[in-house]
Amino acid sequence: MMGGFSTSTRSSTEDREPPRKRSKRTSVLEESSSQNLSTRLSTLGSTTSSFTTSPHHHQQQQQQQQQQQQNHHHSFNIFEMLEENMNGSSGGGANNNGSTSSTNYDMNGHRMAQGNNNDQASSISSTANGTATTNNCGEYTTNGVMNHNNHHEYSAQNQNVQLDNTNRDIVRLIGQHLKLIGLDRTAQMLMQESGCTLEHPAATKFREHVLSGDWHKADYDLQELQGIVEDDKLTKHNLIEMKFLLLEQKYLEYLDDSRPIDALHVLRNELTPLHHNTPRVHQLSSYMMCTNNEELYERANWEGKNIKSRTRLMDRLQSYLPASVMLPPKRLQKLLRQAVELQTERCSHHDMAWETSIDNVSLLSDHNCSNTANAFPMYPVQVLNEHSDEVWYCKFSPNGLKLATGSKDTYVIIWDVDPEKHQLKQRKSFECHPNGVSFVTWSPDSKFLIVGGTEESSELLIYNIEELKLHSKVSHSNDESLTCAAFSPDGTRFVTGGIRGQFYLCDLEGTILNNWDGVRVNSLAFLSDNQTVLAADTHYRIRSYCFETRNDFNLIQEHHPIMTFTVNSTDRLALLNISSQGLHLWDLQDKCLIRTYQGVTQGNYTIYSCFGGVNESFIASGSEDNTVYIWHVRREEPLASLTGHTRTVNCVSWNPVYHNMLASCSDDGTVRIWGPKPSSNDFMSLISGSTSSTPATSSSSSLNHNDEHMGNSNNDWNIS
Amino acid sequence: MGRIFLEHINGTQKLYNCAQCDTNLTNKSQLISTRFTGSTGRAYLFKRVVNLTFSNVQDRVMLTGRHMVRDVMCKNCKTKLGWMYELAVEESQRYKEGRIILEHALITESEGMGELRPRNYEEN
Repeated sequence: MMGGFSTSTRSSTEDREPPRKRSKRTSVLEESSSQNLSTRLSTLGSTTSSFTTSPHHHQQQQQQQQQQQQNHHHSFNIFEMLEENMNGSSGGGANNNGSTSSTNYDMNGHRMAQGNNNDQASSISSTANGTATTNNCGEYTTNGVMNHNNHHEYSAQNQNVQLDNTNRDIVRLIGQHLKLIGLDRTAQMLMQESGCTLEHPAATKFREHVLSGDWHKADYDLQELQGIVEDDKLTKHNLIEMKFLLLEQKYLEYLDDSRPIDALHVLRNELTPLHHNTPRVHQLSSYMMCTNNEELYERANWEGKNIKSRTRLMDRLQSYLPASVMLPPKRLQKLLRQAVELQTERCSHHDMAWETSIDNVSLLSDHNCSNTANAFPMYPVQVLNEHSDEVWYCKFSPNGLKLATGSKDTYVIIWDVDPEKHQLKQRKSFECHPNGVSFVTWSPDSKFLIVGGTEESSELLIYNIEELKLHSKVSHSNDESLTCAAFSPDGTRFVTGGIRGQFYLCDLEGTILNNWDGVRVNSLAFLSDNQTVLAADTHYRIRSYCFETRNDFNLIQEHHPIMTFTVNSTDRLALLNISSQGLHLWDLQDKCLIRTYQGVTQGNYTIYSCFGGVNESFIASGSEDNTVYIWHVRREEPLASLTGHTRTVNCVSWNPVYHNMLASCSDDGTVRIWGPKPSSNDFMSLISGSTSSTPATSSSSSLNHNDEHMGNSNNDWNIS
Repeated sequence: MGRIFLEHINGTQKLYNCAQCDTNLTNKSQLISTRFTGSTGRAYLFKRVVNLTFSNVQDRVMLTGRHMVRDVMCKNCKTKLGWMYELAVEESQRYKEGRIILEHALITESEGMGELRPRNYEEN
């Protein structure tokens, strides 16, 4: 309502606004005193008389009444208006009951904003205010925020702005931030124009005194603040704590000044009588013994007598004061930081590789990693057709420079990775197991490769990949089955096992060092302590085994067969492929199921999944619906589904070093390499460059949250 | 110690309970074979049995060959009731793995809920 009528009178009544406001305040008083007031007002001079006689004024009044469609007396209207402002200033919920102090505060704010220089008028307003203490009455004149020379023009302008609670808070936040970054004059202007106060004048005074080290006055201000702040917000305990903090600083500064007698006085006559935090008092007294200032700083963890330590003190003090009186320190930054954190949390592609903080994220737009999704390995880069039968397994070496694929065609192929072009080139193929290669694993130094076969295979082959030759074999008895293996993190040993009940610890020469009877092993993992082995068995369990201590215990009990599992690099999470149930993520420490991922179909075939991406924040898995699925670890819905394979995708491997490269292998006999969205140059070189492999013409990928990418990728590939 | 959580396998057919404390263990639909022998005589092989605790694994040579077994106890009264086959070395005995033997002398039989039929349906 205020905004409406004041816009119409902006220019003509600029000099009349303050006196009219004063007349409102008089209306707060009882009728009996209003006569007295009006006589006092009449002594204010021509502005007041023009207020009563001005034809403009009638116009305003009419407009206002029209707007409000009320027949109330004019002064009453404005009284309401004032009251609204009073309530409006009380912080969050305009609470009528508890607003006495904030009313007082807001009136101060208005006085300041209006910038009335007339002492008499302000004394009237303060008496009209009722709750205002006499101390506050002349306060605005000492308040540094006020610029007396300019007050008149701003006083007119601020009538234009009507701010609700939220906007007041926002203006205060902005004001605080402006001050923080040193734009003091702009902050002053803002406060004047908006009619808001950054903080209660008493709080300003308190801050000034603390920062200047005027402890006596600061203590006095504290008493004053106590009167302003409602009792429940500033408890007695908090008040004592604040006093204590002040005295602590005072004491330390005396010590810093080498005035031990004064410090002792503070300790004995001021700190101790508070009977607060006695251990700290004892600690403080021990600082007396410090031989020099440096020792004092170090022992007290204190910056010395300077503005820095006082600012820190102020920040601590501020936390005890309600926000309506004194804003918490750096409030705007804190809010923005929270916003960035939340956006990061909600960002579907966020890879946690870089900490998002207010410093490295643009605040101008919401944080979203989907721009980096172009670098996400979900665009078909290469199709490897060398295998002549179903490809059952693929695995990148730990150094990211090799890929090993195993196929039903009995061959293992070692591929060289070109991390820049995202191209793979065949290096060597080995004929391994007559029934097909079902499993390979790399040693941590990428030097050795263990190759396992199907259930009928009793031999485990260990290849030296540097010399490209067979290094050793594990071969014990013909009716054994060795279908899985895992290297110890130090690379000196490995465990192997199979569902016929073999479970061995071996060295690199293939010698069985130790064995564990009675476990039919489906899948294995070696934890980074070099001792603990996890094995998924045929009883739907994952159990922990330690060959050295012969300790074993249940970690996970599922209700369906665990086909395969993989453990992340921190040993904390295990990703299980459950027959007919899909992917389960377990916390190994808490032994609880964290998440089940949607999308995959798994039932008849052994399917492998993997962790991947920076910080292993993504997971990928094959599926019987010919699709590769990618999830963010924290979300159930797939982030992307990569189509292109024409039969079951048996295994996926995420390059552990070059995070934008993913390999998948399928019953269709191909291995597909997925990489970032190719630029047009890359694409051309890709067409002309590769001889051994063909670009994936039929492949497409869909990014579920960013569908526009799908169209783009299709367009790219349609060129061919 | 808290309150022991006990399952009930339910079922319309015959139920098998712990003879000591009458805790429900399994029902007839889980029964695979009655032609086993335990330390107390006749023993039954079941597919799924609830409310059990398991001992550590033990290597035992039985009539049908070497087995890795765990003794099973009633979760409620801790009475030993039989054993569970963790691993059968003989290929021909692998069907027993994960299955549970309950000794007949240590369990009791009781009637299940029977066919659930609406009463008025019967009258018609």
